[in-house]
Amino acid sequence: MRYFAYVLALLVTPLSAQADSHNALIEGIVEAHILPGFEALATQSQALSKAAEESCDPASDTLRQAYGRAFDAWVSVSHLRFGPTEVNDRAFALAFWPDSRGVTPRALAGLLSEQDPIASSVTDYAQVSIAARGFYALEFLLYDDRLMTAGEAGYHCTLVQTISADIALTSKHILEGWQSGYAVTMLTPSPDGVYQTDKEVLQTLFKSLATGLEFTADTRLGRPLGSFDRPRPTRAEARRSGRSSRHVMLSLEALSSLAAHLAEGDKALSGKLEAAFERAQSQLADLNDPVFAGVSNPQSRLKIEIVQQGIAAIRTIVRDEMGPALGVAAGFNALDGD
Amino acid sequence: MKTVYLTSTALIAALATPAFADVKSDVLETYADIAAAGYSDSLTTAQALQTAVNALVADPSAEALQAAKEAWLKARVPYQQTEVYRFGNAIVDDWEGKVNAWPLDEGLIDYVDASYGGPSDENAFAALNVVANPAFTLSGKEVDASKITPALLSETLHEADGVEANVATGYHAIEFLLWGQDLNGHAAGAGNRPWTDYAAGDICTHDNCERRGQYLVAATDLLVSDLEWMTAQWADAGAARVGLTGNTDAGLAAILTGMGSLSYGEVAGERMRLGVMLNDPEEEHSCFADNTHNDHYYDGMGVQNVYLGEYVRIDGSLVSGPSLSDLVKAQDAALDVEMRSKLGGTMMSLGRIKTAAETGFAYDQMLERGNEAGEALVMGGVNGFIDQTRSIERVVKVLGLDGIAFEGSDSLDDPDAVFQ
Repeated sequence: MRYFAYVLALLVTPLSAQADSHNALIEGIVEAHILPGFEALATQSQALSKAAEESCDPASDTLRQAYGRAFDAWVSVSHLRFGPTEVNDRAFALAFWPDSRGVTPRALAGLLSEQDPIASSVTDYAQVSIAARGFYALEFLLYDDRLMTAGEAGYHCTLVQTISADIALTSKHILEGWQSGYAVTMLTPSPDGVYQTDKEVLQTLFKSLATGLEFTADTRLGRPLGSFDRPRPTRAEARRSGRSSRHVMLSLEALSSLAAHLAEGDKALSGKLEAAFERAQSQLADLNDPVFAGVSNPQSRLKIEIVQQGIAAIRTIVRDEMGPALGVAAGFNALDGD
Repeated sequence: MKTVYLTSTALIAALATPAFADVKSDVLETYADIAAAGYSDSLTTAQALQTAVNALVADPSAEALQAAKEAWLKARVPYQQTEVYRFGNAIVDDWEGKVNAWPLDEGLIDYVDASYGGPSDENAFAALNVVANPAFTLSGKEVDASKITPALLSETLHEADGVEANVATGYHAIEFLLWGQDLNGHAAGAGNRPWTDYAAGDICTHDNCERRGQYLVAATDLLVSDLEWMTAQWADAGAARVGLTGNTDAGLAAILTGMGSLSYGEVAGERMRLGVMLNDPEEEHSCFADNTHNDHYYDGMGVQNVYLGEYVRIDGSLVSGPSLSDLVKAQDAALDVEMRSKLGGTMMSLGRIKTAAETGFAYDQMLERGNEAGEALVMGGVNGFIDQTRSIERVVKVLGLDGIAFEGSDSLDDPDAVFQ
């Protein structure tokens, strides 16, 4: 029903020239940035599930590679937290991290020791705590010294397969959500819609850029950095699979692409952003430290802090120059609060 | 369309006049008055808690423990309504961790059940148990805890080792000392600490009753002195009031930042939605006392209070004055109606959670895996908070506060940005 209402609104609403250019900008982002990202996630997650069916052995190269490709695809869209990812807690079900209270290993250990029958059904598994679902839970089963061999072997195998299938199903639902309505929702704001104006759509996209940068700087880098006196290397993201630095790189690549779209038509701003992203990315590449183990050593720590500062510089450009250029502000986001 | 446009243009012109600036100052005045009244009520009820706690420790009994619990529950009512002041006002946000930090690794403070586990990857002191240990090593330093004093709690133990879950002070530490762990999982019932945990001599249970009493008294004394300080900041010429009213637009942005950040990231996200998604009975704000339904309800009410410019004090009197609602109405009456109805809708959803909890369906039961009714109740509140945040953003825009509120949403990264 809603879908048709939006289409109708699009047909009857005369658009001004500025609205046209905003609308074209939004269309470009939806078609070149958002949809391909979620298509890749759905495809790679499906491949992961298939690989797990073929071999559920945590040490299997095929399985681990499929896992890595699907996780890559997730990280590349992990900043797009609105619409279909937020229905039924889908994004949380794919990616519950950070887990500051250690709920994921506890929840998995509980399932394994009880051989909880809920793992035998992918549909039922959707009721399970998000801490025992998604990429971060699967990482424990594939890479954690203790949990990769914990429990009865047959049950462990089922759990790996079910979590992989659950990831595939969730990713498919997100893509369908985009294809069957949310893309239209973003392209056709209306007074009764989720978005009342193009500006509100732009604000959402702008916000996902700003929040994505904040998350990568403060959480992906900030958690392992801790403080100078108390670095926290064990808090690095996905350190068991050696993916911490890779995630920062992937997210910078994705955010840089979104930023380029949002700055389209403003040469000075695009150039500035591109240079700032490139600087941060090359500083990160130079670290050559996959799990940020260097946070504990004053010299290597400084280099990791420099990457973080590089991202802070991007955030400043985004906030002080891109925001006013688009005529939007970041508003509130889910990271506000504690 | 055109008429509306012209009307609002005319109003925008009106907004620039000195008369309108006066209205803005009056709105800030109301907001500060509500804060002063709210913190003062929080102080009064905390002092009542202090009296009850002192009575419990001096002459322990089941009745004295019950009286202290009731005093704690009452103290939460005005305090939760002040939480809306946190994120917009750096002076409140910097202080808040002392009084309402959550969640906590309660094993830092006192004995816990075996199922709690020991030190974790995240927190080496998760099971320190200060009540049982008069001396221990903390981050390489020997700590003398032979006497449990307010200074020991606030200066040494609170956030020990830089871990936020080491909560040694505030409402939730006191809550744990009064109720104890809730070991009922998703089943009915709150924590059930025996009053004999405070008894002298042979009937003392779980050992160290005297030290436990010392801890409880010290934590309650700290709560009272912290609330005294904050109440003073909102009095005439107090730092919080002066900071707020220095720049009227920044002040208005602070109000809206507090409303939006509390609604969305904090309560809807961190405190409500996460619990549903994790199905973890400990993911409730007052997990020892099972008072979470009231925590959320009065948080929601605080947001509504500051928009409407109205607060009902603990003695029943009404504090009210020119409000944000008045400002918005003058500029975009439809948006004011939208904002009021969203706030009202959230209160209705939170009221349903409260009603169900008070008639026996506790908040931790709502979080159980597969409990659809519980999930629907909690998510009703979450959706209300998220939905009202969208309208708050529209209010920010209509009042022309975009640039300022934008920085304000960075409240934790850069608390001073709000005032620049």
